[in-house]
Amino acid sequence: MGFLDIRNATKSYGAVEVLHQVDIAVEEGEFLVLVGPSGCGKSTLLNMIAGLEDITSGEIAIKGNVVNGVHPSKRNIAMVFQSYALYPNMTVAQNITFGLEMHGVPKADRDTAMQEVAKLLQIEQLLSRKPGQLSGGQRQRVAMGRALVRDPDVFLFDEPLSNLDAKLRVDMRTEIKKLHQKLGTTIVYVTHDQIEAMTLSTRIAVMNGGYVQQLGTPKEIYDNPANLFVASFMGSPSMNLVPVTVRAEANAIYAVTTTESNGEIKLAFPEPTPALKAYDGQQITLGIRPEAITDPDGADRKSTHVETLRAQVEVTEPAGSDTFVTCHLGGTECIARMRADADVAPGQVFDFAVNMEKAVPFDPRSENRIF
Amino acid sequence: MAQATQDTAIRTGRVTRTLIYLVLLLFALFYMLPLYVMVVNSLKPLDEITGGGMMNLPEMWTLEPWRKAWSEAQIGVEPTGLKPYFWNSIQMVVPAVALSTVLGALNGYVLTKWRFKYDTILFGLMLFACFIPFQIVLIPMARVLGVLGLAGSVWGLVLVHLVYGIGFTTLYFRNYYAVFPTELVRAAQIDGAGFFQIFWRILLPSSGPIAVVSVIWQFTNIWNDFLFGASFAAGDGAPMTVALNNLVQSSTGVKEYNVHFAGAILAATPTLLVYIVAGRYFVRGLMAGSVKG
Ligand SMILES: Nc1ncnc2c1ncn2[C@@H]1O[C@H](COP(=O)(O)OP(=O)(O)OP(=O)(O)O)[C@@H](O)[C@H]1O
Ligand SMILES: [Mg+2]
Repeated sequence: MGFLDIRNATKSYGAVEVLHQVDIAVEEGEFLVLVGPSGCGKSTLLNMIAGLEDITSGEIAIKGNVVNGVHPSKRNIAMVFQSYALYPNMTVAQNITFGLEMHGVPKADRDTAMQEVAKLLQIEQLLSRKPGQLSGGQRQRVAMGRALVRDPDVFLFDEPLSNLDAKLRVDMRTEIKKLHQKLGTTIVYVTHDQIEAMTLSTRIAVMNGGYVQQLGTPKEIYDNPANLFVASFMGSPSMNLVPVTVRAEANAIYAVTTTESNGEIKLAFPEPTPALKAYDGQQITLGIRPEAITDPDGADRKSTHVETLRAQVEVTEPAGSDTFVTCHLGGTECIARMRADADVAPGQVFDFAVNMEKAVPFDPRSENRIF
Repeated sequence: MAQATQDTAIRTGRVTRTLIYLVLLLFALFYMLPLYVMVVNSLKPLDEITGGGMMNLPEMWTLEPWRKAWSEAQIGVEPTGLKPYFWNSIQMVVPAVALSTVLGALNGYVLTKWRFKYDTILFGLMLFACFIPFQIVLIPMARVLGVLGLAGSVWGLVLVHLVYGIGFTTLYFRNYYAVFPTELVRAAQIDGAGFFQIFWRILLPSSGPIAVVSVIWQFTNIWNDFLFGASFAAGDGAPMTVALNNLVQSSTGVKEYNVHFAGAILAATPTLLVYIVAGRYFVRGLMAGSVKG
């Protein structure tokens, strides 16, 4: 049993089920990120935790108490909204203390708590202003202050950074992470930005179409995506998905594909697992992250299964820290991420180094990972 | 070259602007004329009016017609002037405007932030009130007031105007609150504010412009209403409009036009005042919601 338990939570609007049997246990102090494309049900799930939406079936428990039907204000949660939802007619100070006032905290205690939070978030000089007189970043801080001051069991964030410009978003991201490390509070955070999800979370729930596709640490999600959706949603540029044919030989199993310039290519899987062997002769989808395809010198030295792949370079895109190199594999475009100073040129036939330890096979019909 | 075009632009600008001002001035004069006639003639002795020359300034300025209209003219049985009826109207209009505005705001709040099944149908039905002609409800309303024991009283009129006004005020506030961010209400819910606390502390403080619209609209309609006043509150309980009619229509003695003019201005003053004080918020409130500000 976790600190925040979501057990088989389902949500329907009329006859339409928009969340299906969601099951997540969040430990105390965890930073859980719900990530997924627009309309997948992230906000709905968050609002169900907050008590702003009913739970159609299933249970949500906070600290062991089932909160189905409990009023939002009695759940000891705090929420930061995408629009910040600061009360426009109140000053920053009043905004921050409104919740305490409604909970009957005496004025003196409210002010002490407010000062503390204002200091933590460095908004002391803004306390007497109205929200309309603040910049986006300042509003964001005030919204967080309003949540922090309540000292809740669980913090809920619904895309809190999506209204900020790119630079501020990165700054605030770091700040939220620092705050979490400092205060150790339990956070559920909604975003559709997979980089935010990777950087902030201790665990990620990738959602699509009302289903949790995969729940795991950022590393698990990134290295071992459970299905094609997770594989292509997480990571930028996204994972290369190459159609290959499985060929089992005496002592190894190969992924066989073709290149336009150099014909058939055989890449050996690190381990000849029985699951893979069952696909002998069939076509599967092989997922390879761009950084697992490099120039031979840049290949991961710890990996024991670096295969060589000879193909023609089509385009090179230097991006400062890396150079992205495009080639064709099995009829699909494939992106490799190389060191900035890798010696490649368009048109050249090049020996790509593929780290097969990082390659993930998928069944193209079920779209699930083959173990 | 650029210089030349700029020059002509300014010149044509000046010509058109002068034209526009001229036309506007003409219109203004046209609309001001009745007011001028009323004011001027209310400040003359009666023989100056009957002697012709309605447009002339008074030869002898006097406030006597005003005093007479206010406190002496024969309206009911007693020569009381318009004074008691003016207070009747105030007693009717203040609670009716206040209640219909507050109830409209509450309705708007519920219809947008506490949605329930069939709420749009309910709202549609409420809108009906805006389209029902007054004449249709006269007899049923008289019956209802009779049953409630409010017939002939100021409170009866308050009820009638309240019921009629709610359709409009609900429409105003519903449209205004429809674009009020629901996230604010949700944030307040999480903060622990209840139904009325959210209304009182979050929504109402931001409702200034639309409240002004509602008050102006209701005030002018209720103050200027004649039909309901004449039907449900004749005699001592009559509102200003009915009293003014009685004053002007009285068949006994000579027609004191100067007193009639003074009375008419007295009857129009409150609505004028409301427009002057709150008018600049009126347009702003009507526009709010349609334009994001
Ligand atoms: N009141 C409602 N009635 C019917 N369907 C709804 C309602 N609210 C949300 N939905 C549906 O539920 C699904 C999930 O919506 P939700 O707001 O949770 O998406 P989201 O993942 O937060 O998306 P976004 O990233 O765009 O905010 C959507 O398909 C939406 O159309
Ligand atoms: Mg959302």
